[in-house]
Amino acid sequence: MSENPYLSYEARILEVKDLTPREKLFTLRFTDPEVGERFDFKPGQFVIVDVRGFGEFPISLCSPPTRKGYFQLCIRKAGRMTKFVHRMEEGDTVGIRGPYGNGFPMEKMEGSNLVLVAGGLGMAPLRSVLWYAIDSGKYEHIWLLYGTKAYEDILFRDEIVHLLRHGEAMNCSVKLAYEVESPSCIYLEEGFSQKVCRGVVTDLFRGEEFDVNKAYALICGPPVMYKFVVRELLNRKLSPGRIYMTLERRMRCGIGKCGHCIVGTSTSIKYVCRDGPVFTYWDALSTRGLI
Amino acid sequence: MRYIKLPSENFGEFFNSLRAWGKVYGPVKKGKVCSFQEVHGVEEVALDYKRTTLPPKKFFVRPRDAVLKLKNGRWENGVESEPFVLFGLHSCDIHGLKILDKVYLSEPADPYYKARRENATVIGISCIPDEYCFCKSLGTDFAMDGFDLFLHELPDGWLVRVGSVRGHEIAWENEGLFEEVTEGDLANFRAFEEKRAKSFGRKLNKEGLADMLDLAYNSPVWKKYADICLACGNCTMVCPTCRCYEVCDRWLNAYEGVRERRYDSCFMESHGLVAGGHNFRPTRLDRFRHRYYCKSYFDPSAGFNCVGCGRCDEFCPAKIEHVKVLDEVRGSLQ
Repeated sequence: MSENPYLSYEARILEVKDLTPREKLFTLRFTDPEVGERFDFKPGQFVIVDVRGFGEFPISLCSPPTRKGYFQLCIRKAGRMTKFVHRMEEGDTVGIRGPYGNGFPMEKMEGSNLVLVAGGLGMAPLRSVLWYAIDSGKYEHIWLLYGTKAYEDILFRDEIVHLLRHGEAMNCSVKLAYEVESPSCIYLEEGFSQKVCRGVVTDLFRGEEFDVNKAYALICGPPVMYKFVVRELLNRKLSPGRIYMTLERRMRCGIGKCGHCIVGTSTSIKYVCRDGPVFTYWDALSTRGLI
Repeated sequence: MRYIKLPSENFGEFFNSLRAWGKVYGPVKKGKVCSFQEVHGVEEVALDYKRTTLPPKKFFVRPRDAVLKLKNGRWENGVESEPFVLFGLHSCDIHGLKILDKVYLSEPADPYYKARRENATVIGISCIPDEYCFCKSLGTDFAMDGFDLFLHELPDGWLVRVGSVRGHEIAWENEGLFEEVTEGDLANFRAFEEKRAKSFGRKLNKEGLADMLDLAYNSPVWKKYADICLACGNCTMVCPTCRCYEVCDRWLNAYEGVRERRYDSCFMESHGLVAGGHNFRPTRLDRFRHRYYCKSYFDPSAGFNCVGCGRCDEFCPAKIEHVKVLDEVRGSLQ
């Protein structure tokens, strides 16, 4: 975008919304309309948020590119910089550079079924896919299997409940698994007995039949989750080339220079920021340390 | 390639003429160690040095580099660089720069690196290997490009290879100092190169190296050396191709700040740590192995990420030897 790829563009916070006690949703827009016009991204890509004088951190875009004029970031209070951002309010500005990474191959998957498997904060990048798929209407059916710790940790709770209730009309089936029991969860479970259960995300596969020749799986979640979800998908004979995962690493520069996100061995080295963050299971099989 | 001869008696004058191309930096000996420093005369330069502690990457990727300046809440583009001359680079270090070029000049190019690279005049010099060098095994003992001029020692002067347009310009402007190369000079040049090729003590078996290492992921040799390793990161600091950097913002006063880049090392625990406390390379074994994999990665267009300069061996406080580790890992496979 600019001559110096490390310079960010100013973006104004239009809205801040509490999602959970730890996560907030920031809706932003570039101050320079021309920059906003040029800013286009694919679901699965990320940006680097620049808090002037404090530092930078990478965050995946969680709104779909189909909604123009703004973009959203779901930020968890996890460190010094995100804590600072959490104190920001409507009207404050941050720097944004990007988008970076490869994103999900949405065009390639058109006409297919999408199985989105999210764990915890992994819901954020997949929300971009979810709404892109629903908005564009180019996909046959969308499953969202979402595993969370507790009721309070459900990201985009109102959207999830809305989809639990009316999802089928939008060709979208949502299923939710929670680990910690609470009255709210039991209430949800009673209301949507087929769709909500206590357990982990792989439990949600039970009873779901996907046409493996027409389905793509898109996974994002904590590192421990990938192994189990991939095993579940492979058991159902889904081809490794149809399993997409988006990964997290300590991405500093976003453009393959700083070396923090290098994974792999002497035969295959990948930069998560540049070659990913979306990889297929084939990539994981040939690049050690990816998952 | 154009070959010309610089007779010994003209060397001093030639060296002084380089100042027209910017500040001149060359290898300077201080006690037992050598480093690239600003020099004002040929007498300050250690022409027969073995290796500097920090490779010439320090001129392009600085150990601590204020890249962006914050003024009144806005970043100011901090790309600034003056012309300078790097005198006396060995072939391995020139290859090291080429590997950095591959990373930093690939799109989108790093503007700081690019500006410094464009401003640098690189003058190579021939060397005699010591007990740590294994550049011959990696094919980095002779530079075919990546320099402006390369000086090869002859009994009565220097055989100069001209490697770029700027090199031609330097030779052009000092026309009177150079002579045509004679058959005798070429014979001397060949004799020197042959003698040099024979004096390598250390040899790395690079046959199928990348594949071999991949197969040996679980080799007990990694564990053995990771236990000896002090995880100090010395090897990464002195490596001409290691380039990991960390970024942090620093306030200079209440109104001004800078965004600084500084060397980072994959031996540090924080290297793979992400927000929330998850570490993708939690153990010293993981980090130790990662460096060897990173250095031995083979890029068909650029070769290995290691140039065999021997710095990591010489400056390792635990006396871990790169070639020995790789040989032992290979041995553990059989």
